Amino acid sequence: MTAPPRRTAHRLDWEAILSLVPSGARVLDLGCGTGELLARLAAERSVLGRGVELSEADTRACIARGLSVRQGDIEEGLADYPDNAFDIVVLSQTLAYINRRRPVVEEMLRVGRRAIVSFDNAGYYRARLRAALGGGFGGPLDDERPRERPITLGQFRTFCDGLGARVVDAAFVGRHASGPGGRHAVWPALFAHQAVYLLERAP
Amino acid sequence: MIVETQTFQYPGRLPLQSGAGLDGFSLAYETYGTLNAARSNALLICHAWSGDAHVAGYHADDTKPGWWDEAVGPGKAFDTDRYFVVCSNVLGGCSGSTGPASPDPATGKPWALSFPIVTIADMVNAQALLADHLGIEQWACVTGGSMGGMQALQWAVAYPGRVRNVIALASTARLSPQTIALNEVPRQAIYADPNWRRGNYYDGNPPNAGLSVARMIGHITFLSDDSMREKFGRRLRNADNYGYTFEAEFEVESYLKYRGDAFTRRFDANAFLYLSKAMDYFDLSYGLPSLAAAFRAVTARFLVVSYTSDWLYPSWQSKELVRALLRNGIDVTYVDIESRYGHDAFLLEVDRLAELTRDFLGRQA
Repeated sequence: MTAPPRRTAHRLDWEAILSLVPSGARVLDLGCGTGELLARLAAERSVLGRGVELSEADTRACIARGLSVRQGDIEEGLADYPDNAFDIVVLSQTLAYINRRRPVVEEMLRVGRRAIVSFDNAGYYRARLRAALGGGFGGPLDDERPRERPITLGQFRTFCDGLGARVVDAAFVGRHASGPGGRHAVWPALFAHQAVYLLERAP
Repeated sequence: MIVETQTFQYPGRLPLQSGAGLDGFSLAYETYGTLNAARSNALLICHAWSGDAHVAGYHADDTKPGWWDEAVGPGKAFDTDRYFVVCSNVLGGCSGSTGPASPDPATGKPWALSFPIVTIADMVNAQALLADHLGIEQWACVTGGSMGGMQALQWAVAYPGRVRNVIALASTARLSPQTIALNEVPRQAIYADPNWRRGNYYDGNPPNAGLSVARMIGHITFLSDDSMREKFGRRLRNADNYGYTFEAEFEVESYLKYRGDAFTRRFDANAFLYLSKAMDYFDLSYGLPSLAAAFRAVTARFLVVSYTSDWLYPSWQSKELVRALLRNGIDVTYVDIESRYGHDAFLLEVDRLAELTRDFLGRQA
């Protein structure tokens, strides 16, 4: 995979992720960046956190926070984590940058009892409007960040069905958020800016 | 910081991995900082192939400090204000500890090749007796690079209750065939020196030509393509134009020659051979179904560090180690440091190392 853009300090999906993680859980954060989410999970949810991060600088930033993080490529596999080693495996805003999504999410559901996957909703009405008005999907052509795969909520649901994952809960985050944890319930396929899904293996 | 090398003498028998044994041995060691009342702040530094107990500070007659002075001292990567740092010369070495150049008590003459083969496990068992002697039940951390990293891993495996943290730099859980090959060629250089005389050179001229070539090969493997270009380029040493001779004209040639010659003045050729064999035999998975099986009983936390341009102990070996640790659910942190210095990076990248060790050990001791 290519490195996703650096995370910013205030991420819309984090509040929703925090609300989906039970206290004291064992959490593995894939593509954990500088470890801000893991640090918040440790501070606010008392989780036992571990991370995987592609970049050396970000891995070192995690270590500076006192986190146990392994530098590595999540697409090289999670094969070495035992089954159910974690309660929750998190993939926050990284799915769109992975080349082979299915094996990664399948592995998340093997090493974790549950998985949380968050991504930008490509079907968000503003994205649709911009595309319809000739602005295209994604950033401008001179944007040097890695190419991002646009993902809609419908596509993600189909993807989950295909790999036998059940959606336990979902939080939809938007600028016009309403409800607890900033969740957006009204027509999320159109109005959610970001989607956060809690998955488990279908029985 | 003025330090003195001390000697620990063990009178009993040390059984060796090969089945042989040593009736008594000595280890040269140095200590820095102060052991706290709880005896909980001891940190063991294990040296690499050509290292010794003198890791930092100055001996009274030194012009240069110990071999890792940049990393060991007050406020440094291994902070002697916080830790009681111990470094001992390995068993089989030639810098104060018992090795092939030491006298065989049975004959009074140097052991030479009658000295039993020692392994990394034997070195660690000897260090454990030193730890007993110093009253250290558990190390806050055992660390080392290269062959030193192998000892650190061996400590965690052989004495799981005695190690809280392991920091393994540019190391491996088992030597690769490429690295065994790069140990064999230097050995052949020593064997080929007529002065070697199957190890019985202590009453005559030592095999300096062979040992020098052996060390030159070592120095090539410690550097990288990048660092050689940066350090030497194609520069000539004394002239602007080629001399069309077989003299050492290129800077890289004279560097290797200088390093090789200097090494013969401080290292015993037989000890060099013994330590190279100890590394070749090192394989934590030996006799086990998998490498992961080696770490079943391990409780220590791990910081594993590799360096991108290290082709002697390449990053994949550290990743293999990390995966074997993860399979056991061990708390492991891993970083692959971007560096151009090759294998030598573990000695040279001290700023990033200091940051890492402070952060990693910060939650401890």
